[in-house]
Amino acid sequence: MHSLGEVFASHFNYIAYVAIMMVGLYAMAAKSNLIKKLIGLGIFQTSIMLLYVSIGAKKGATIPILAKGATTISPADYINPLPHVLMLTAIVVSVATLGVALALVQKIHKHFNSIEEDEILKELRR
Amino acid sequence: MQLPVLTILFPLFGAFVTVALAWSVRSGGRKNVMPIAVGALASSAACAVVLLTQVLTTGSQIYLLGGWAPPWGISLVVDPLSALMLVVVSVGALLNLIAFSFTPSKWPLGKTPAFLGLYLLATAGHLGIVATGDVFNLFVFIEVAALSSYALLSMEGRRATFASLNYLLVGSVGASLYLLGVGYLYIESGSLNMLDIASILTALPLSTTTLTGFAVLMLGLWVKMAVFPFHAWLPAAYASASPAASGLLAPLTTKVMAYVIVRMLITVFPQNLLAGMSGFSSMVVWLACVAIIAGAIMAIAQQDLRRMLCFILVAEVGYMLGGAFLGNSTAMTGTILHILADAAMTLTLFMAVGIIIARTGSSRIQDMDGMFTTMPVTMLAFVAGALSMIGVPPFCGFFSKWYLVSGALEAGHWVFAGSLILSSLVNVLLFFRIFERAFFRKPSVAAVQDTGDWQQLAPLCFIALLLPAIGLATGGIIQEIIQPALKGVL
Repeated sequence: MHSLGEVFASHFNYIAYVAIMMVGLYAMAAKSNLIKKLIGLGIFQTSIMLLYVSIGAKKGATIPILAKGATTISPADYINPLPHVLMLTAIVVSVATLGVALALVQKIHKHFNSIEEDEILKELRR
Repeated sequence: MQLPVLTILFPLFGAFVTVALAWSVRSGGRKNVMPIAVGALASSAACAVVLLTQVLTTGSQIYLLGGWAPPWGISLVVDPLSALMLVVVSVGALLNLIAFSFTPSKWPLGKTPAFLGLYLLATAGHLGIVATGDVFNLFVFIEVAALSSYALLSMEGRRATFASLNYLLVGSVGASLYLLGVGYLYIESGSLNMLDIASILTALPLSTTTLTGFAVLMLGLWVKMAVFPFHAWLPAAYASASPAASGLLAPLTTKVMAYVIVRMLITVFPQNLLAGMSGFSSMVVWLACVAIIAGAIMAIAQQDLRRMLCFILVAEVGYMLGGAFLGNSTAMTGTILHILADAAMTLTLFMAVGIIIARTGSSRIQDMDGMFTTMPVTMLAFVAGALSMIGVPPFCGFFSKWYLVSGALEAGHWVFAGSLILSSLVNVLLFFRIFERAFFRKPSVAAVQDTGDWQQLAPLCFIALLLPAIGLATGGIIQEIIQPALKGVL
């Protein structure tokens, strides 16, 4: 068995992403302000991007651009670019989600004159 | 050979053309966008139907986007099962659009181009989810479908806007969890292509990474599919949206997600996976039982017809989830049949209720008095959908439930079989309560009969007549589509 410290050091990225994810989830569940909920959603999505980017990393490797005049290509010398590319797409998706969400919040603010969830629910029950 | 991509491209580009045309032609542009939208969906449906006949005669088709070979490029894989789903999605979207495209009142006329653009985009997203052979591409299509759904559902008053923001928060978490599951799959297999992942994972011993990825991915899909504890967004969003939007999304979204779960189980993940985590799959079947019973109980409490249908939908989601995880081919056959049957009958019911809302402005159950005298054709279609939902032969709902119950008995899971039958009985109660009002009571206001409005009624009658037709074609569907898909799997 590994000691706790070893596990922490070798799985640091996983622990970090779960911790950040929980922060985001907490904000989405516990905050009543709709904008704060959206910030929570952003944190939640970012934690998954962090996981993806971290799994592309390799010790002692460099960015995946071929060195000038390189003739032999060893995969161990370059980090894996694919997760980064995937996350570019995921960032675009999360920006689009945020855009739609902010538009909806604006509409809600126009209708209810509030962005606090409890006040909106009270207004809807009336 | 271009048909798989054309099926998706027609609504995708149709969406941009509708919006662009409405901007460019200031006067009269808004009237012209409707034929474009109908045309785009009709072309897509035609492609899907031709594709289905081709796939049934000559075998599966693989389309390489940009000519890049998998595992590097993204491919669209159309086998008989996904071809059938493409037909369901495109034909369903087309019928629903025709039914609501010429509604005189209650149509958000000021927003028509935007509404149609989003409608086409949502259809394209659902088609893409079905056709794609790449797990990350599937995430992108889920988000294309979901983002346009949020906007579509919000276009009807303040309650709808608030409900769709809640749907957005829950749905984004679901999609993110799916993405997280894909991440674990990528860590384990180093690939994103479904067939490639399958061949790599079968060669490897089962690892915790695969199991974690599977569990997280399924959790994400359950949230998107409105499985019981995560169902709250569905009734809120669908019951307050405009009839055209709920008529598109209620039949499609949950069914397409159920299809993704089936696809993950039969294509992507290795066959020893569920056997290796038997505790997990039995937990899922129990969860499905809870979903079925909870959906049925909550449906009884509803005073609004569309809300009641939404809770019945929550119960139906339980059917499909439980059947997929029972782990024998009879139950899986039942699940796939039920995806098809539920799409058809939910479309019938939501279209009928949508037409009632468009005409009377209300969907409260107490306002259903005398509906048979004022809207005979709509109510006949509603009865067809309701009988299918209850599971009366020869409607398609009977055959799928038959296979689900037989599969449950084969697996020895009496509680699941019992919940299925209980929920069917509750459906009897729910629907006959409405029939009683509609048949025997006097209408509160005298109104013109609906028989003249053929443009609205023709698609509804078509889908209502399809219900027994699908039921009678069950044998053929199983032989041609479901058995090849399950061959060598269960």
